[in-house]
Amino acid sequence: MAHPLLAGAPGETHLFLGNEAIVRGAIEAGIQFITCYPGTPSSEVPDTFFRLSPEAAYTFEYSVNEKVALEVAGGATLAGALSMVTMKHVGVNVAADPLLTLTYIGSPGGLVLLSADDPGCHSSQNEQDNRIYARLAGMPCFEPSSAQEAKDMTCAALGLSRELGAPALLRTTTRVNHLRGPVILGEPTVLSKPAGFQKNPSRFVPIPAFARPMHLRLLERIEALRERAESSPFNVVSGAGTVGVVASGISRAYLSDALDETGLLGKVKTLDLGFTYPLPEKLLASFMQGLGTLLVIEELEPVLETEIRALAQRLGLTLNILGKTPGPLPRFGEYDVALVQTALRAALGLPEPKKQACACGDASEVALPAALPNRPPNLCAGCPHRATYVAVRKVFGDTAVYSSDIGCYTLGLLPPLKAADFLLCMGSSISAGCGAAKAAGQTVVGFIGDSTFFHSGITGLVNAVFNRHDILVVILDNRTTAMTGHQPNPGVDKTNLGDNPVRVDIEPLVRGIGITQIRKVNPLNQKATLAAIEELKDLSGVRVLIAEEPCPLFARRAYGQKRNQVAYVAGDCAASAQDGSCGDCLNTLACPAFYVEDGKMAIDPLLCSGCMLCLQICKNIKARKGDAK
Amino acid sequence: MSSKLRIFMTGVGGQGTLTATTLLARAALSVGLPVTSGEIHGMAQRGGVVESTLLIGCKSPKIGLGEADILLGFEPLETLRALPYLKPGGLVLSSSEALPPPSVATGKETAPSVADIRAKVTACCGNACFLPVRSLGVQAGAVQSGNIALLGALCALGALPFGKDVIAATIRATMKPKVAEINLKALELGAACPA
Repeated sequence: MAHPLLAGAPGETHLFLGNEAIVRGAIEAGIQFITCYPGTPSSEVPDTFFRLSPEAAYTFEYSVNEKVALEVAGGATLAGALSMVTMKHVGVNVAADPLLTLTYIGSPGGLVLLSADDPGCHSSQNEQDNRIYARLAGMPCFEPSSAQEAKDMTCAALGLSRELGAPALLRTTTRVNHLRGPVILGEPTVLSKPAGFQKNPSRFVPIPAFARPMHLRLLERIEALRERAESSPFNVVSGAGTVGVVASGISRAYLSDALDETGLLGKVKTLDLGFTYPLPEKLLASFMQGLGTLLVIEELEPVLETEIRALAQRLGLTLNILGKTPGPLPRFGEYDVALVQTALRAALGLPEPKKQACACGDASEVALPAALPNRPPNLCAGCPHRATYVAVRKVFGDTAVYSSDIGCYTLGLLPPLKAADFLLCMGSSISAGCGAAKAAGQTVVGFIGDSTFFHSGITGLVNAVFNRHDILVVILDNRTTAMTGHQPNPGVDKTNLGDNPVRVDIEPLVRGIGITQIRKVNPLNQKATLAAIEELKDLSGVRVLIAEEPCPLFARRAYGQKRNQVAYVAGDCAASAQDGSCGDCLNTLACPAFYVEDGKMAIDPLLCSGCMLCLQICKNIKARKGDAK
Repeated sequence: MSSKLRIFMTGVGGQGTLTATTLLARAALSVGLPVTSGEIHGMAQRGGVVESTLLIGCKSPKIGLGEADILLGFEPLETLRALPYLKPGGLVLSSSEALPPPSVATGKETAPSVADIRAKVTACCGNACFLPVRSLGVQAGAVQSGNIALLGALCALGALPFGKDVIAATIRATMKPKVAEINLKALELGAACPA
């Protein structure tokens, strides 16, 4: 049965994840070419495109990083293909170089960049506001607040981009990517085959002489886009009164519920901004007429607020503008209905609402959660990263500085593994590790996963060779991109859709750079891993350990891996044994399958994956036949 | 305003919290209710907490502290942790079978006992129902189907604007026959619980 994302008929209503709605919007626009680098909260967009790709008419690829993804799609749009590039917010930093010139050059076939921002840092290292990139690059910006809008705006952004040759930004936030709601389907478009690249150097080659007029054309295009924003159906005025509210993105959902809850619906004048850049100045000028107070509600940076303040100053308006500079709203984290209600009341001069009571009393001072034991995410039972970390710690202990990177293996941060001391961004483990080692002569071990190595670790490794750095790089090759949902990368032999026919091998690649001090081990073989680390410890310069073993979750599904043994405690492992009488796995491995019963360690046979790491560390642990996993 | 309904769901990664949320959202949509649901996961797949929401008559996919009409806890410690989201007079349905976090399982920290959690939750809201969700799931044929048992109990309490039959129809329409059979059984087992 074909998926409703592809086969759903116009007029049907389906429940879609925000990210699925984006896919449907692209299909309705006639999408021809998609590239991406996965990253939460964007990943379901490319993963859905990938899953549907055998039945669909478009070209799809997982690119090695966001810069490459945008460049590939940039070439596709120059050849006339309607294109889309998806990534998480920090990925746009990686892609910023091509982005800021692509908007000079334009996108003849149409191109939309999805930037999935993460206010509140649910799964990211920062909460940067990528609407600023729309200003920096000069691209129209759409900010959906529901699944329906996610579909409609994707479709509209692609259409507008193709019509005006303007690369467009679809900016979502985690709440929008990961909400589910009803979506009424529209008619999919079938575009004719891309026309191919049309030679015209003055338009497409930004040497300085050509770049200057390109910039002027971009500025003209921004004004043409502003006209579209003025009359966009995504920018809606409603209500009446002398207090106005402008809201964008998911804040519009919070505003709608807040107005409803407080009985203020219709009693304030609201401007819902969905097509948020270029700012529709005429619409705002007319909106601000007669207002005494204007509240601007947008998560993160005061982007619209600052632009509206500048516009009001230009128009000579003296209304009181509230937001965050100054105002009742914070410049960090996510908003919610209660926060928007408080801001609304402040704008209206109403007393602060009574603190929302919860079932246990005052919600602002609930004493419960802090006292409860936490449930932090952990490396899975059988995770090969645990085996590598245990071996590295055994050799280096706390004498080395551990330069970490982005992936599941960052979870090795917590005790007892404590295998992450600092982290900057994707690929930084090698390069930042080199700098830390050289600056003060400390021993540095860098950890990087296979996908992250291909993303941007290779360049750091080439630099390490060229500049004669002193670092031990451990490549944690689990044969997939595990953290974001098992997407393929250039090194894998299996994808979720079958075999990968073209594999880039890490070992010859590292050798080709000129590195000779290389060891390759299966980390589940502790003896061999420890020996390799000891050998590399005694050497200097750039050293590479490749620890290769598939992610067990992926291996079960993609390789059909079955392990029919489980570990059990045959001897006596006291919960607090640190006297050398046993291997003390309980306190050194942090395996989720371990537990304590009556003061003794035990292993849950349902959770044990059969990796048999603990057997190699403690003589009291043995294997027995168990359920195949 | 009275037509609004907010359900906060919480559980442990891998338990099927999101499957239950999506099933409930599809059921609501199938009877024409304006439904929105939300989920927060990302790193939670590695044994962390998974929280999700289902709202009827709201635009926001988020539920603030003291806003939930119903709290569905697929693990008792997580039920207790999420209690501040429940509004006064709200309803709690929870699993009574603990999945201790690693720090507790290995004796490094202690968690309140299920009896303590029950007492605390009942003292807060009076309106609480605990059932052995994992055991019911196993009885139905798969431990993950225990979540559906909790939905069955929710229907039996008349807490939803639609009945068990709507959830059953959604299960049949969206799941493979073999899986559907197990989940339908779990739904019935759960529905028989609140007496």
